[in-house]
Amino acid sequence: MKQLDYDVVVIGGGPAGMAAALKANEKGATVAIIERNDELGGILNQCIHSGFGLSYFKQELTGPEYAELFINRVKDSDIDVYLNTMVIDLAPDQRITAVNQDGMLVLAAGAIVLAMGCRERTRGAIKIPGSRPAGVLTAGLAQRYVNIENRKPGERIVILGSGDIGLIMARRLTLEGMQVLGVYELMPYANGLYRNIKNCLDDFDIPLHLSTTVTNIIGYPHLEAVEVAKVDENFAVIDETREVIACDTLLLSIGLIPENELSQNSGVGLNPRTNGPLVDEELATDQPGIFACGNVLHVHDLVDNVTLEAEQAGTAAAVYALEQKAAVSENRPAENKATITISPGENVGYTVPAKLTIPPQKPIRILFRVRTPLDQAAVVIHTGTEIFYQGKVQAYKPSVMEAVALHPEELNRLNESDEPITVSVREVKK
Amino acid sequence: MNHYDIIIIGGGITGTAIAHECSKYQLTAALLERGTDIGIGATKGNGGVVHPGYDPTPGSLKAKINVCGANRYPQLARDLNFGIINPGIFVIGFSDADEAVLKHKLEFGIKNGVRDLAIIDAGQMRNREPQLATTARHALYAPTATVVDPFEVAIAFAENAKANGVEILTSQPVTAIKKRTDGNFLVNTPNQQFTCTYIVNAAGNHADDVARLAGIAEYQMKPRHGDLLVLDKDMVNKPKTVMFPCPGPDTKGIACIPTVHGNTIVGSTATMLDDKEAVNNYAPGIQALIDGVHKILPELDAAKIIRTFAGLRPVVLDNNNDFYIAESPTVKGFIHAAGIQSPGVASAPAIAELVRDLLDNAGLEMVPKADYNPYREKLTVFTELSLAEQDALINEHPAYGRIVCRCETVTEGEIIAAIHGAIPAHTLDAIKRRTRAGMGRCQGGFCQYKVIAILARELGLSADAICLEDAGSQLLCGAVKGGAK
Repeated sequence: MKQLDYDVVVIGGGPAGMAAALKANEKGATVAIIERNDELGGILNQCIHSGFGLSYFKQELTGPEYAELFINRVKDSDIDVYLNTMVIDLAPDQRITAVNQDGMLVLAAGAIVLAMGCRERTRGAIKIPGSRPAGVLTAGLAQRYVNIENRKPGERIVILGSGDIGLIMARRLTLEGMQVLGVYELMPYANGLYRNIKNCLDDFDIPLHLSTTVTNIIGYPHLEAVEVAKVDENFAVIDETREVIACDTLLLSIGLIPENELSQNSGVGLNPRTNGPLVDEELATDQPGIFACGNVLHVHDLVDNVTLEAEQAGTAAAVYALEQKAAVSENRPAENKATITISPGENVGYTVPAKLTIPPQKPIRILFRVRTPLDQAAVVIHTGTEIFYQGKVQAYKPSVMEAVALHPEELNRLNESDEPITVSVREVKK
Repeated sequence: MNHYDIIIIGGGITGTAIAHECSKYQLTAALLERGTDIGIGATKGNGGVVHPGYDPTPGSLKAKINVCGANRYPQLARDLNFGIINPGIFVIGFSDADEAVLKHKLEFGIKNGVRDLAIIDAGQMRNREPQLATTARHALYAPTATVVDPFEVAIAFAENAKANGVEILTSQPVTAIKKRTDGNFLVNTPNQQFTCTYIVNAAGNHADDVARLAGIAEYQMKPRHGDLLVLDKDMVNKPKTVMFPCPGPDTKGIACIPTVHGNTIVGSTATMLDDKEAVNNYAPGIQALIDGVHKILPELDAAKIIRTFAGLRPVVLDNNNDFYIAESPTVKGFIHAAGIQSPGVASAPAIAELVRDLLDNAGLEMVPKADYNPYREKLTVFTELSLAEQDALINEHPAYGRIVCRCETVTEGEIIAAIHGAIPAHTLDAIKRRTRAGMGRCQGGFCQYKVIAILARELGLSADAICLEDAGSQLLCGAVKGGAK
């Protein structure tokens, strides 16, 4: 059994974990990354398509290439990396228990960065009726099989969900010699990035069926067909449109869920709108010394944003850990910070952060997503009584994460009151 | 060709309980299961409640068997090392009419010998279950009721039977049964032939089909289908008591059931079907489950559903929904243990004893084995060990330090042990039932490819050959274009 002590422990060695660890290390903290896979890189390792790093590196990289740039920097640093090591408990006293084939590890940390990423929504969660045969799997699992294990999940594929993973897999499966019969999407609009619709579906003549869902799974012991049907504006199935499609594989790309079981064990409060931790502008959770970044905090579409967010969390974690060390040795009492909440308002699904320390000392970025597509709308940040930020009119889509940068001067008026802030996106009537 | 005193047809909880009972005696026996694993029929398609016995009519065979079987469970769980919890049952009444039914069931229960039954009021109910609907007025409380994972019980029975000399054969569907002139049976499967003196028909939904192979047409069967849901372990305010509404004529109704491992099951609907293979889920059934459980627990979060599944209860028609346990009047030596619908799980140990008596009456000498071993050691479960024990285990066997299933914290060591266990596991679902790998909230999203790789390696097969459950359920179909074969 190993007992270890670090200033900052980062749970997860994907893009979020690596960026956080590097920044923390730069700040002078001793850092460990705990990664359950046999290599760093996280989900990027199986994302062999390009489109990563357009803004952060000003290059168009594949997932593994983007990851490699960080992996090399981690290797060149004195960050301790524990591969094939899984954290199985994060206790309320913040002790970390992990396991690998050399035995159990117990780690004490001055600060912890949660970077565990997310999991895929499953068939059971949307309760698709029918048989339960082989041939039904999530798009990410299929991506693992095709890109890393070199195996085909089937020959004739139906994809449910027009999220990015489904769109990318529609193209990938086609390139690898399988037949993708179509992508079916419950909503009346596609969920993924526009460029993926063009590059993955249009370019390969793969039809996209909106307002359609899978209503039955047919065949046993192996999938033989799915039934699809159109839905109305209330998502009720329109019976006359039911249609059976012969296929041997159903890929589900129906959403990602931040993986916060460890966070919950340690008492970290979650935002029910994101299923990720509630954080302030420093990405600090409500458990002192625990920070969160990347998909575990909220699901991102661009890894470049993950990196920026993680750098912020890693810096904050290191500053916290080193200050705590200094405070303990100088016998300083703990500081109590006042905060106000940031709430999602009209048309907004959620915001990160969910609270803001006042008085604000540094510029902050508020990230948010709208709930529904809006052609002409503007973001408005307001308290109950006054508006203190209005953005320009633009189109908004749920699949695009938006950011508003605010400077302390813009927020100064908050010093006087401690009213909560609301972020709304208001439609502009022509 | 192998000759046995007894061949048991069907490896569900009934067949394996009978095998377990027979293994106590000096006789030869084999169990033939048509599927790839033990317990994959009706046994795995229910909520695992060990009903204490207030439902059956006093004096009926079912009443005796139910109570006797249920009472065996605590000792069996200790001896055979399977998981069991004691959440008790509330049968909940919402009206005066319901109260009359509850009093009726209380009477039945007392007459049948169920201990500690009582009618309790809303306040007492809410002490135990604060989330209970405010419309709940009273309940029949059965504090002795237990819950198991029925497929684990079947595997435990089968492993102990095998350790004591009963042959347990899977992937052996019976295709023909002939009575020979010497009075013995000739039993065929696609690739083997056996003879035996006695047959026990424990073939679940197919008991009538198996009986027909032997020229017997004493009863007809149809499946009564039920949908079920599984909810996440992390659900807040999850119930700690099994809670049913007042029962109907054919079914106990839609209950919430805490499971051995901390999930909540909601089940089950009840619809007679014709098709014995249709273990599907149906949209109206799933909705009925959600609506039904909301009558008891209005705040139960349906977003916590992680899986839907279904089961077919084997029903012998025109038999008052009763069990059909008897020697055939037309074919001597052929013993039926058929129509084992609810309370099948609870009754299994007592059905086994009854079948033993029937075999005895039919002329089979039942001499107890002096060296019968009633104990079964179960496979090591990593999460049940202390930190120091985990460390020591890994130092001895590093495979226990490699976590495969993250959601349920299942190690490679456990999976390897299950593959090579007493009743070996060769499919994804067999591994899932023995180790819980794939039962978590990601439903195998992260671990499936790892489990397939481990199975392929340990069995010396290609990944493409690995099946989900039944023959023909391969998950992968060849290398990608241009990829390494």
